[in-house]
Amino acid sequence: MTDQLRVITRRMVEHPADSHTLARYEATGGYRQARRALDMGRDELVELVKESGLLGRGGAAFPAGLKWSFLAPARPAYLVVNADESEPGTFKDRQLLERDPHQLVEGMIIAAVANEVHHAFVYVRGEYPKPARRLQRAVDEAYTAGYLGEGIFGSDYDLEVTVHLGAGAYICGEETALINSLEGRRGEPRLKPPYFPAAKGLYMMPTIVNNVETVSNLPHILEMGPEAYKALGHEADTGSFLFSVSGHVNRPGNYELPHGLTWRELIYDVAGGIRDGNELKTWIPGGASAPWFVPSDHLDLPITKDATAKAGSMLGSGAVVVMDDTTCVVRAAERIVRFFAHESCGQCTPCREGTTWLEMILRRIESGAGREVDVDLLLEVGGNISVGLAWPPRMTTICPLGPSAVSPIISITKYFKDEVLAHIHGNGCPLRGAQR
Amino acid sequence: MLPRTMSRWSPETRERARRILARYPEKRSAVMPLLYLAAAEDGHLTPEGMEEVARWVGLTPAQVQSVASFYTMYKRERTGRYLVSCCTSISCMLLGADEVLAAVEDEAGVPAGETDDEGVITVEHVECIGACGGAPALQVNYELVEGVTPDTARELIRWLRSASPEAVHTDEMQELFGTRRSFDWAVPERVGAVGPFPAFEPYGTTDGNP
Amino acid sequence: MSDHVTVTIDGRKLEVPAGELLIEAAQEHGTYIPRFCWHPRMKPVGMCRMCLVELETPRGPAIVTACTTPVSDGMVVHTRNETVQRMQEGVLEFLLINHPLDCPVCDRGGECPLQDHVMAYGPGESRFVEEKRHFEKPIPISELVLLDRERCILCARCTRFSEEISGDPLIEFTDRGNGVHIATFPDLPFSSYFSGNTVQICPVGALTATAYRFRARPWDLEAVESTCMHCTAGDRINLQASHNEVVRILGVDVEPTNQGWLSDRCRFGFQYVGSPDRLTVPLIRDAEQGHTEVTWSEALDLAATRIGEVLAGSGGQSVAVLGGARLTNEDAYALSKFARVVLGTNHVDAQMDDGLDPQFLAATVDRALISDLDSAKAILVWGPDLKEEHPTLYLRVRRAAQELGAALVVVHPRRTGLDDRATHKLTYRPGEGADLLTELVAGSGRASQARQALAEGPVVGLVGRTGYGEDPRLAEAVAAFVRTLPDARILPLARRANIYGALDMGLAPTLLPGRVSVGGEGARSIAEAWGGLAEHPGLDTRGILEAAAAGDIEVLFLVGADPLRDVPDGALARRALERVPFVVAIDQFLTDSSRLADVVFCADGFAEKEGTVTNLEGRVQKVNRIVPGPGQTRPDWSILDDLARRLGVELGFGSAEAISKEIADVAPAYRGVTWDRLDWEERDGIVVPDGGEAPLRFVPADTPGTRAGGDLVLHLARVMYDDGVTVRHSPSLAGLAPGAAVHLHPDDAARLGLASAETARVVTEQGEATLPIRLDDTLHRGVVYVPFNQPGMPPLGPGPAVTVTPA
Repeated sequence: MTDQLRVITRRMVEHPADSHTLARYEATGGYRQARRALDMGRDELVELVKESGLLGRGGAAFPAGLKWSFLAPARPAYLVVNADESEPGTFKDRQLLERDPHQLVEGMIIAAVANEVHHAFVYVRGEYPKPARRLQRAVDEAYTAGYLGEGIFGSDYDLEVTVHLGAGAYICGEETALINSLEGRRGEPRLKPPYFPAAKGLYMMPTIVNNVETVSNLPHILEMGPEAYKALGHEADTGSFLFSVSGHVNRPGNYELPHGLTWRELIYDVAGGIRDGNELKTWIPGGASAPWFVPSDHLDLPITKDATAKAGSMLGSGAVVVMDDTTCVVRAAERIVRFFAHESCGQCTPCREGTTWLEMILRRIESGAGREVDVDLLLEVGGNISVGLAWPPRMTTICPLGPSAVSPIISITKYFKDEVLAHIHGNGCPLRGAQR
Repeated sequence: MLPRTMSRWSPETRERARRILARYPEKRSAVMPLLYLAAAEDGHLTPEGMEEVARWVGLTPAQVQSVASFYTMYKRERTGRYLVSCCTSISCMLLGADEVLAAVEDEAGVPAGETDDEGVITVEHVECIGACGGAPALQVNYELVEGVTPDTARELIRWLRSASPEAVHTDEMQELFGTRRSFDWAVPERVGAVGPFPAFEPYGTTDGNP
Repeated sequence: MSDHVTVTIDGRKLEVPAGELLIEAAQEHGTYIPRFCWHPRMKPVGMCRMCLVELETPRGPAIVTACTTPVSDGMVVHTRNETVQRMQEGVLEFLLINHPLDCPVCDRGGECPLQDHVMAYGPGESRFVEEKRHFEKPIPISELVLLDRERCILCARCTRFSEEISGDPLIEFTDRGNGVHIATFPDLPFSSYFSGNTVQICPVGALTATAYRFRARPWDLEAVESTCMHCTAGDRINLQASHNEVVRILGVDVEPTNQGWLSDRCRFGFQYVGSPDRLTVPLIRDAEQGHTEVTWSEALDLAATRIGEVLAGSGGQSVAVLGGARLTNEDAYALSKFARVVLGTNHVDAQMDDGLDPQFLAATVDRALISDLDSAKAILVWGPDLKEEHPTLYLRVRRAAQELGAALVVVHPRRTGLDDRATHKLTYRPGEGADLLTELVAGSGRASQARQALAEGPVVGLVGRTGYGEDPRLAEAVAAFVRTLPDARILPLARRANIYGALDMGLAPTLLPGRVSVGGEGARSIAEAWGGLAEHPGLDTRGILEAAAAGDIEVLFLVGADPLRDVPDGALARRALERVPFVVAIDQFLTDSSRLADVVFCADGFAEKEGTVTNLEGRVQKVNRIVPGPGQTRPDWSILDDLARRLGVELGFGSAEAISKEIADVAPAYRGVTWDRLDWEERDGIVVPDGGEAPLRFVPADTPGTRAGGDLVLHLARVMYDDGVTVRHSPSLAGLAPGAAVHLHPDDAARLGLASAETARVVTEQGEATLPIRLDDTLHRGVVYVPFNQPGMPPLGPGPAVTVTPA
């Protein structure tokens, strides 16, 4: 059994009863790093985070320090913490928000100081009222203690924090859609260029958008120093990483781990193997947007950003969805495509029309009304959203949501074409009855 | 429409609206929180509620409707007292969410998307609610219950009808109807939801427990 | 060439302006990249994805939208390679899967960008076998526009227009994903003054106009370019007719004036042209039988006889001419010459007591061009609500403030359409404008910030009368102030059709053709050319009406004029018309006024004749004919020519074009303005220069306004839809007039005991009316606002003193 790391999950594991309170947070060393950050200033903090190699945890794995360094000089600048966690399979930020909200608040103070921000926002998805309440209470406690508001920690630095609830829209996890939503608009992604948040973000001002897990790491990077932080991880994937494992495993859950172990270790050792002694059929290595992996090709690959990319997929936000041999892949693909069709913002043509079309074809195949030509049609419709079905996608869309719906199409036609054809030839699912 | 200086909201809601507006550098940003206030005020998001929000933030009602209709949680039709949202996304589906949904629909007596005749239960199926580690999961008024089965889901519906709780609390429901959770949570959450809106103190949508 | 970059488009190396969008740069060099959502007058959104192209980059080929990608040096672009063609086919296939393909019954069929693009770039067939998206169709979203959501391809042109350009976002994307559709708010229609533009820019038949729906197929249309005569901006239009009936007007995108946009009044106000109520034969009035139809000879003979008697008796001083603003310059010139030479009178006025000095309107110094607004650092609007009276100018000012960064100061007694874009808005009571101007000049009091906003030039001042309650000399004083601002230019504002052309042709008591003042230096050469001029001082409209009411006018010409409804003091107009022994009307309709005329000549109108018009910049443009006038109508010049002949004077008018040549000879400012130039190389018009040798240069005077007495002041002002002839006889527009009402500030209403009253009695020196009350907290306290000339409203008079009491 592979040992878990205890960095951003240490407090909640060691002090389950009150890890969310200010008292416990401070008793375990909390808010010291925020105070230190005030003495360090922008240049030193940006440099430190760059040195740590911290990669964004929201899915794109962009170097966090580099992102900060792109912040345009105009002021005011804003910090927005992306807590719109909505990708099927992902539930790590919910744990961080519920169980250790002060860790996030302290991380926000550090990120704010590093980016000369005086007003920060946390955009929490609307379906997370409990995490939002926990966070709001932590923010309230921090205000009362003088850690937020005017002159934080007795300095002359002001920092306001507003907790904002979404209202049911996955696309708001895309940073420019999130900014639109926070401005009181439809959560439609903006064009990049010209609307790179670091230059023209919230209210058209320079804005840093960081994920909850990314920001929660900041106090630890300051505390242990960039070298020690790097050493926790594996080569380019520095620090720890929260994997959300779900599906047909015996022990689903969030696991704080370094990169570098194999998929076999993660699925069988960490997550306890497949339920009911079933066989592993396939898994999604990094959230619903990611192309799937199969045991024959990928079980012994190391879990690193680069190895996963080389194998044609991604680690994304760390959501691993495991499917056993009772799973109908057409149905699984339909469920994922349906998700993206439902969550498409609708502004650009290929995504609005294409994702729903794919969903309709898959549903037809699943129901037994598939035609031989539908397999090619799926790929060609997919190809009109994601040119050449390449990885990473060559998008005909404004944002990556549309191409995300193509990933399961590629996966099932690549690895499970016989099963898809069996649906078509047999007028429905060949596994019907085998499922629970 | 009312003149822009007049409001149909209660003084308490107006005070909340003012506090919400103060939390944002630009007032348009208050649209989403104010839409929750409007929904809570009228039971669901009504045209009058959208007009009111439009007045507060200086948009046209059409603009407010455009924003509101983008998001799934602003219900523009009357919902039951308890909104039961069953996740049927991939991780929940893999572990039997479709069967849970079918049980809920059957027990409630209405298909997903509809409200029972008594106006007590609205059933909907929703996309991922971030409970994949505790699949299958559902929410009642956005308060989460993880690891439900078709049987416990039926019990939950019956309980909502018979106990008719003023507010629903995630940990209480989890205790009664749930099994496996995505992660351990040691301290019960006392605050709950009083209507089919996310329970969040600044919006006045909680039962106010500390 | 540092401002240019080199790009390679489909293998061709091109020099294009740096920073230009790829889609524009390619088009300028003959490569058309297909598009739906992109519109050159709106910000790119890259939504439809039709303009996807492939770029060669160091990291391999990249897919971008040409409408959002600025060109950069060394850029290599493919717009027709295999990848791009596949993407184009893909996008079109996507757009068609939910499209109803009801082209045979679609107004857009035959001129539809979607049809055209599918022909040129689309796949041969659709592979979609599922059920299409369905919506109820079509649904009316206003009195003028219908929406078919099944045809809609969600390009957001209409929603962006209403938000970005017209500033009334009443139609919006609603719902999400595959369910997105365009919607209005329940019970809140798309009642924009500019809604028709969305129909024009819709790339499919999703938005259709009630006025054109099922009226014609595009291949049956005749079309000619012309100039709109509703407001005074001189908007360029495409006039379209089918079977000798005007059926549609489209905006033409020209830089100097309307940039493609039109108000709905312009777009749909053509319907009066084909109205069954048009006059088609001459009429004479008989004491017993009212009007009876007669031949042209009978009517002309009668008029000539009676006029001849008066001229032989009391002379030209007892003859007066009202109207002419609806005429072309050629007809106005004919009228001006007829009045001066044949009638021997200077009692000529095309302004119906609108109040501004005609010399100020025609020849103010430092006159601005509309396009000066684009480079202005600051704009002052102290005059009418532009949205109501100068709609396309309103769009231009709005853009300057919203997109081009100009500071905007708006001064008006109540809310105006520009307020939401104004950097500073000042309200005041009519009559107290002089005090406010004093503050603005000094930069003191509540005007201090506004004054600062005007400190940096170039400044453009749009100056006119805010309403009939305002002292007309105030506008001149405001203009005089504007002249003191850095790099300042002035647009004097008047709203009446071709009023600037009419004034330039001398249809004012103090003016002769070519901005020459009566009795001035240039008058001599005109007298020579014409063989004489009237000598006596002329009266303006108010003077004419007062003289008429006193019995001093024996013959009154009404040329497209309806003083009973159109001058602020309607009661005076009635007294005048009832007293004048012989009234001659030249008109297209029987109006309240021409009903009192002894002879009525039926005239050709807009779209029925060729000529020129002059806009508020002094820009001369062509209007053109597309249909014949109904029945026996004739051009105004020809009626006047005939009448003159019967009175023994040969005016020598052979044709409108011949008159235009005479104008160019006689009117100094119009030298060199020929139809030939306007029809070809100068289609966007020729701006007649201010100044020059003989024409006057009017310097606005710093005259203080008067202070109104009393506690309440009437603000009587025009709105877009009223009970005027063109609106009343255009069925699409007739129902849009807001209706008679008195608008009160809630505090004033409470003070007057009218807080919960439905109606109020409004009394001025000139009239009274019982009107429904509307509460309006944007009014300056003490201002009683009444929209002018609403259906069913008795003449109230201009005030400004007014009392409001419970009805």
